[in-house]
Amino acid sequence: MTYVARKFGFFIATLWAVVTLNFLIPRLQPGDPAEIMVKRLAGKDAALDPAQVKAMRAMLGAPDGSLWNQYVTYLGELVHGNFGLSYTYYPYSVTEVIGQAFWWTVVLVVFTQVVSFVVGVVLGAYAAWRRNSRLDSVVTLGSTFLGTLQPFWIGLLLLYVFGYTVGWFPTSGGYEEATPGFNWPFIQEAVSHSFLPALALLIVTPIGWILGMRNTMIMNLGEDYIRLAKAKGLPDRHVALKYAARNALLPSVTGFALALGGVLGGAILVETVFDYPGLGRLMGEAVENKDYPLLQTLMLLTTAGVLVANLAADLLYGVLDPRARRAEG
Amino acid sequence: MRTRSTTLVLTVAMALGLSACAGSAAQKNGAASADGMIAQLTFPSEADAAVGGLVNYNPNSPKPLTGTWLYEPLIVRNSLTCEETPWLAEKATWEGGEKLTLDIRQGVKWSDGTPFTAKDVAFTFNLMKQYPAFDKAGVWNDTFGAPATSVTAEGNKVVFVFSGNAAPKYDGIISTKMLPEHVYSKVGDPTKYVDKAPVSTGPFKVASYNGRQLVLERRADYWQADKIKVQKLVLEGQYDAAQAALKLRSGQLDAYFGEIPNPKKTFVDSDPKNNHFYYAPNGMTVLTGNDEKPPFSDAKFREAISYAMNKEEMSLKATYGVMKPASQTGLKLPSMESLLPEEYAGKDTVVPFDVAKANQLLDAAGYKKGADGKRTNPDGSPLAVNFSVQAGWIDYQAIADVVVKGLNDAGVDAKVTASAPDSIDGQKKTGDFQLLLEYLHGGCELAKNLGDKLSSKRIPTKTDIFPNVQRFKDPAVDAAVSQLAAQTDKEAQKKYLAPLVETMMTEYPVTSLIYAPARILYRTDKAVGWPSEEDPYANPQDDKLLWMTHLTAPK
Repeated sequence: MTYVARKFGFFIATLWAVVTLNFLIPRLQPGDPAEIMVKRLAGKDAALDPAQVKAMRAMLGAPDGSLWNQYVTYLGELVHGNFGLSYTYYPYSVTEVIGQAFWWTVVLVVFTQVVSFVVGVVLGAYAAWRRNSRLDSVVTLGSTFLGTLQPFWIGLLLLYVFGYTVGWFPTSGGYEEATPGFNWPFIQEAVSHSFLPALALLIVTPIGWILGMRNTMIMNLGEDYIRLAKAKGLPDRHVALKYAARNALLPSVTGFALALGGVLGGAILVETVFDYPGLGRLMGEAVENKDYPLLQTLMLLTTAGVLVANLAADLLYGVLDPRARRAEG
Repeated sequence: MRTRSTTLVLTVAMALGLSACAGSAAQKNGAASADGMIAQLTFPSEADAAVGGLVNYNPNSPKPLTGTWLYEPLIVRNSLTCEETPWLAEKATWEGGEKLTLDIRQGVKWSDGTPFTAKDVAFTFNLMKQYPAFDKAGVWNDTFGAPATSVTAEGNKVVFVFSGNAAPKYDGIISTKMLPEHVYSKVGDPTKYVDKAPVSTGPFKVASYNGRQLVLERRADYWQADKIKVQKLVLEGQYDAAQAALKLRSGQLDAYFGEIPNPKKTFVDSDPKNNHFYYAPNGMTVLTGNDEKPPFSDAKFREAISYAMNKEEMSLKATYGVMKPASQTGLKLPSMESLLPEEYAGKDTVVPFDVAKANQLLDAAGYKKGADGKRTNPDGSPLAVNFSVQAGWIDYQAIADVVVKGLNDAGVDAKVTASAPDSIDGQKKTGDFQLLLEYLHGGCELAKNLGDKLSSKRIPTKTDIFPNVQRFKDPAVDAAVSQLAAQTDKEAQKKYLAPLVETMMTEYPVTSLIYAPARILYRTDKAVGWPSEEDPYANPQDDKLLWMTHLTAPK
């Protein structure tokens, strides 16, 4: 019980810290949202029209009062689930704006994470079981090499080759002419637009799982119970899957929960490269426009997602591995 | 204009774009029909929004899906030539600077069939009084002259009465987009109103929008429908320079208004017959020293370094030679030639590049050269200039390199510090800078542009960037600016403009470098009649409605 209580206490404290930082960080940046909005309409280096800046400040109504007052108001609004109106998409609320981008990212990132996890764990386990085989060297060395690359960079390469040079895939956006909704033309367009971003992520994301799985599995293979299982004359396959892989999977499962928690942050750079209409690109846009309400809510979603996943992973670990519970409790 | 913070992505994409062949989708837009009509034109999306499904046509929201083709202004003033084209108002008459009468056009219909009247105009301006957040023209507050006391409709006229001189508000007033009283009077706070079914007077109406592609359709009942030949206007996509160049070359875009570096090589050369660009001088890039601190507090120093500026090379490096060196008068020449005072008329007012002269002037002003070739202040203290430049603004950074080279050649020790554009805005507010680059707008309201640039009443504050960033102070100039602001007649304007031009030419509050453009890149295979260097009848970027009435199908 104390284990659970402690984890919850930790969760609340971190959440408070996150909310506070979330409030402070955007306000520590230089720049004034009203000026940025006016500039975007007039051109980046245009002389700011004071009448327009005045009107824009009156419209956005922000930020006024001392930092402390703003903070208290902010906390109050958060508790009521009121995230305010987006500056960029004024007068739409932040919730509506995020609702537009949400599914694009969730579908893209959840899909790539699940595929990466499955592929990664299977490959990792196999490489560990057949370690020092040719496949193992290819997988391990290949992973170490590819692991140093960044998905957005791979994205640029893919965009160049398959988007511009060969022209097989569209180069930007989420769809073209179809009306968004559950209809065949839209799904077709959405899939063809999501293919390259998904590929860019799929080339890199399994690598963590491969290396992680291989390492824990190799460690497990050295354990006494594996030797015992082998000594008992159990078939190799049985030992590999039921004994070694099953135990080695434990840390990966909790890791997977964390990865899913990070989904809400989106893949900012990859989405930007492909002009993909998800949360990551939205976050980039919010930063550019000093859209505090939108930026805060996105960062809150991201960090809260990771925290909740963390908590879930901790609790899950307690259930899956009684040692964790006992050691701390 | 797109921001440039995604520099990395843009630069790489640009490299890719230049080498890639434009072999994607074929041209699917229709060709010209027989009656001079144009079946379809495609322009980039106006709302540079990542999220598409949020529909709003309210012209006063920060991001309407289109701010150009639906709601219309009263008068279109070409900011290049300052010529006016009557739009929803047929005439504007000032009585002094305190009373403005607009004659409203008769026979205009809103897109729902209701007649447009002077009452709609009065309504729009009175709405601004009720909701200050809506008052982008500053009619009811004291920015640019005295606030209005009343705006009333009298028959087909609308009368503005101000509590004092308000002539500088003119541009803001005539460019305000007119709203239908029968719709907007029922929506409460107009800034919070999501306008999904626009009722407007403009040449187009919304046909469809799918979150990405906005299709506009010609209105047969538009008040000057005979001048609109474009049947269908598609606004689609947000492109960076490389993507836009590809789309333009392949004919998927008919015009683009953002920056494409080296438009001749990237665009025109691929099809010189159909591909054209017009980068109209809209203002100028100026070198702004902090006139409150040495060495820039010394007018002699400012004059001397003005001769060390190689403007031709800046033009070449920053704009591929497209934008010409700018006149030190602060006026866009030749389009504003008629406003020049007698003594400068017909003379070359661009400060020549002459390092020898710069050195000579610096010697004479007491900035002695030391043994290391570097100059010191007249009091013997070391002289070093820190030049703040907006990181990621490629053209500014290119200009800055040439500026620093010129300064070094004149013996002035200078170095460039690139900072985030936002923090440079901060420096403009606090005055905590030595030297930076700025844009001086060349609009027709000279009291508001050149005037405010020199007026000591328009020095930036902690919260606002006002134009006099260099913090130049001269009571005689202030007096001339307030006189200039009260004039509504061109000859009188010229008289009070003269001291400002004189100050620019002799005191060098800022140093003019090169002109800065209003841009358009366009194709003439489907439509002709675009504004061009030969025929600058409209500002290509700001007066889209005006040039839309000039477009016809090619013969």
